[in-house]
Amino acid sequence: MELTANDQGEQVVVTLAEPRIDAAIATRFKDTMREIITKHRKPVLVDMRSVQFMDSSGLGAMIAVHKAMPQGVHLTLQDLTPDVMRVFRLTRMDSVFQIKASGDQQEMTT
Amino acid sequence: MTPSHRQNVGPHPRPSMSTKPMFHRVFAAEPSVVRKTLVDIRARFGAGLDEDTMGRLELVLAEVLNNVAEHAVDVQQGTSIHLCIVRQDAGFACAITDDGVSLPQECLQPRNLPQDGATELPEGGFGWYLIQDLTQALCYYRERHRNFLAFSVPFDGAARAH
Repeated sequence: MELTANDQGEQVVVTLAEPRIDAAIATRFKDTMREIITKHRKPVLVDMRSVQFMDSSGLGAMIAVHKAMPQGVHLTLQDLTPDVMRVFRLTRMDSVFQIKASGDQQEMTT
Repeated sequence: MTPSHRQNVGPHPRPSMSTKPMFHRVFAAEPSVVRKTLVDIRARFGAGLDEDTMGRLELVLAEVLNNVAEHAVDVQQGTSIHLCIVRQDAGFACAITDDGVSLPQECLQPRNLPQDGATELPEGGFGWYLIQDLTQALCYYRERHRNFLAFSVPFDGAARAH
């Protein structure tokens, strides 16, 4: 599982280096993210710019991660590529997740 | 054999002008092999194709093939998938057969998103929704020990509802 977690104080920035979050990797992704969430217990920003493809298994893992967040602590997804955004949009999960477009890199705490 | 094929036989056959780009492969129903196959399909058709169509084709095939790999595999004998994709004038025609267990009929019935009416967010159940949403002329039948699934993925994303 290619990802790095960088604790920046107010939040943890997780940078995914996997080009595909799919059925072959979904369980590992979910487990790794849960470990990060449990360890830090603070808002998580996931940098998705390197993820070119995600299927419904990857989406399911992402939903599990979303549900694993402590009450009131935010998970934010940033820089979704078009094919990944399509999966969120078609399943209407774009209304459940906090999704930031590329460009608004600044403060996420307002 | 179609009449157009027959016109090309004889001592001076001319190359067929109606040759359609296609992808045909037989492979094991395993997630890592499915992944590799999808990457190869993108390499096969991606050049000269709009990104939206390529993305929809890849997503549909991922859902169908992973569904076989995850639910249809005969654990004793293993399961192989035959996949054939042909690029046609209006889109991609896809045919997938496998020798796994049969597909439950409910997968093909019109469905809503799994979260509709659910009190807690579901983590699965999106695959067949996506397949139904992104395909046309989806059909399935089982013959002897094989599943047959066929559908098309149209080129024109702009004409769709989203």
